[in-house]
Amino acid sequence: MLTIENITKSFGTFRALDGVNLHVRRGTVFGLLGPNGAGKTTLIRLINQIIAPDSGTILFDGHPITPADVMQIGYLPEERGLYKKMRVGEQCIYLARLKGLDKSTAEHRLHQWFDRLEIDSWWHRRVEELSKGMQQKVQFVVTVLHNPSLLIFDEPFSGFDPVNADLLKHEILRLKEQGATIIFSTHNMPSAEELCDDIALINHARVVLSGPLADIKAHNPGQDLDRIFIDTVRGTSTGDNQ
Amino acid sequence: MNKVLLVIQREYFTRVKKTSFWILTIVVPILLAMVYAIPIILATRPLEHSHVLIVDDTGLFQGQFRSGRDISYHEAGSIDYARRQLQQYDSLDAIVYIPARETTLPRDAYLFYRSDMPALNVQTDAQSQLQEILRNRILLDVHGLTPEDYTLLTSTHIKLRTQDIETGRDGFLQVKIVVGIILAMLVFIAVFMFGSQVMRGVMEEKTSRIVEVIVCSVKPFQLMMGKVVGIGLVGLTQFALWVLLAGALVMGVQLTHADLFQQATERHSQTEIASKGTEATYQYQTEQERAAQYQAGEGIDNSIQDLIEGLTGINFAMIIFLFLFYFVFGYLLYASLFAAAGSLVDNETDSQQFTLPLTIPLILTLLLLPSMVGQPSGNISVWLSIIPFTSPVAMLMRIPFGVPVWQVVLSMLLLIATFPLCIWAAARVYRSAILRYGQKASWRDVWRLLKRDKKIR
Repeated sequence: MLTIENITKSFGTFRALDGVNLHVRRGTVFGLLGPNGAGKTTLIRLINQIIAPDSGTILFDGHPITPADVMQIGYLPEERGLYKKMRVGEQCIYLARLKGLDKSTAEHRLHQWFDRLEIDSWWHRRVEELSKGMQQKVQFVVTVLHNPSLLIFDEPFSGFDPVNADLLKHEILRLKEQGATIIFSTHNMPSAEELCDDIALINHARVVLSGPLADIKAHNPGQDLDRIFIDTVRGTSTGDNQ
Repeated sequence: MNKVLLVIQREYFTRVKKTSFWILTIVVPILLAMVYAIPIILATRPLEHSHVLIVDDTGLFQGQFRSGRDISYHEAGSIDYARRQLQQYDSLDAIVYIPARETTLPRDAYLFYRSDMPALNVQTDAQSQLQEILRNRILLDVHGLTPEDYTLLTSTHIKLRTQDIETGRDGFLQVKIVVGIILAMLVFIAVFMFGSQVMRGVMEEKTSRIVEVIVCSVKPFQLMMGKVVGIGLVGLTQFALWVLLAGALVMGVQLTHADLFQQATERHSQTEIASKGTEATYQYQTEQERAAQYQAGEGIDNSIQDLIEGLTGINFAMIIFLFLFYFVFGYLLYASLFAAAGSLVDNETDSQQFTLPLTIPLILTLLLLPSMVGQPSGNISVWLSIIPFTSPVAMLMRIPFGVPVWQVVLSMLLLIATFPLCIWAAARVYRSAILRYGQKASWRDVWRLLKRDKKIR
């Protein structure tokens, strides 16, 4: 589905990504793990073509990614935001139309989603009247509305209460069943362990560990992902210092 | 549907649907109309009628005071009697008392009143009648003037009119100054008001982080231009509504106060004829005419008539066209720079360091306006009206005075040529800065962003 080949990206003198290679298999949930500032968000922005790499290529379905491919991506950024003064329904339709849906389809699908998440009564409310968790639900809907084949969730559970986090988890798994490929960046190892098929651990701009979750766990018997994460990060950080 | 159109649509409709937009749209023309109409209405409105007693110990003023529409003068024999009357009757408003002096002409007269001051028009009318009567006495009785000489002498009235030697049109310098300053202020306010809306919109998208989602669907340049164009259209809509409303209000005034406009246009055509030299006229109002006018309550301030007359002589179609041109291009120039400024900062306070230098050219022009209207074709005026960053304000100030065609064309061409440059530079800064958070941007960063040629979408 998505192959990242030898990507390098610097901002001034700061190297955000350094020779990164990754492969995301179709129909799987891919966990993008790593400490703060490791380069996860930069990688996601490169995939979305918000910024361009210094070198390397990103292949989408085997060909270099194009703006048309980006339209098939649904992206939920970590720092979430909506227009505060706009009404929920109006705003969702606008964002869906920017993703290429026509107005009536957008409206139809939105009502379906809003019904399922039991938020249809918010349709005419202004975004600023909603709580942060409510806004995140709305954003989640906007992200998946155009039936993207690739979904990128950056820290999707942050800010959600346990009930809604669980609801979201189910929705993510449902989307996977429907055939979507999901890239999912997080610090939350238990949820990564629960959802991911493959993972990649990025530290200091490099991929330090990657592969199917099952294989990684088999190599580290008796350790949970948290432990593996901490050990790997410490190991690679001291390696950098030497 | 084209995505830029979608962005434009959103920017436009979210603003036009706001109540504040409509309040501004309705309140501004009403305020302007009030500024224009209130003096006229006040001048023509009848005042409460006043009764004034005259006590003249000198004998010079006997039978001379003329009652008018608003004031009646009644003579009384002695000051003591008059005082008693004033105390006794509420219908009396004041006493004018002229005490006798031994040898010379009277120097002082007194206006006695009960507890509340008589209306201002009583004071001014009594004062001017006293003055006039006394002058008449000196001229006729002391100097022995013939009534003809006297009429000629007292009715002289000369007015300095400005006139273009080529077109023969009246200059109406003061009206032009007023119109020029209003135009300059209006374009300044508009460029700033809508320019800063662009900046706030960009900052809203940046601080709410929604921009990260949107730039996945549209290029940053498209987003920026969509915003600039959308808000510009809001501005144009506002102007269109203002012009319509103001037009309706002026029409209303014209219909209800038709006489006023009639006079103005008549006077205007008279001066047109006079200017062609077919008729060497010098008009003078006789004392009787003035009295008659006074009686009829047409003592309207001459300056208002001049204003209406001067306005009738201005080419408004031309002015509206040029105003729209300079607003649109001035706005495009500044709004794109404001957008770049907005993309650089996380909050409004930080934006000052970028907006202030951007606005210096316009503010400078505004500060120079008072000296520029004194010399609308002077060096400073000409240069500032040609340089793109100052031309919207400076040129509009000059337009009512008449500007050589080559200067207008040069100024317009330079403005048209400059705005793509501004947009290019703004877009370059914007597309990189819009996704940067946490770092406080400096002018050095701006320079770096401008120089760096990274291919980003």
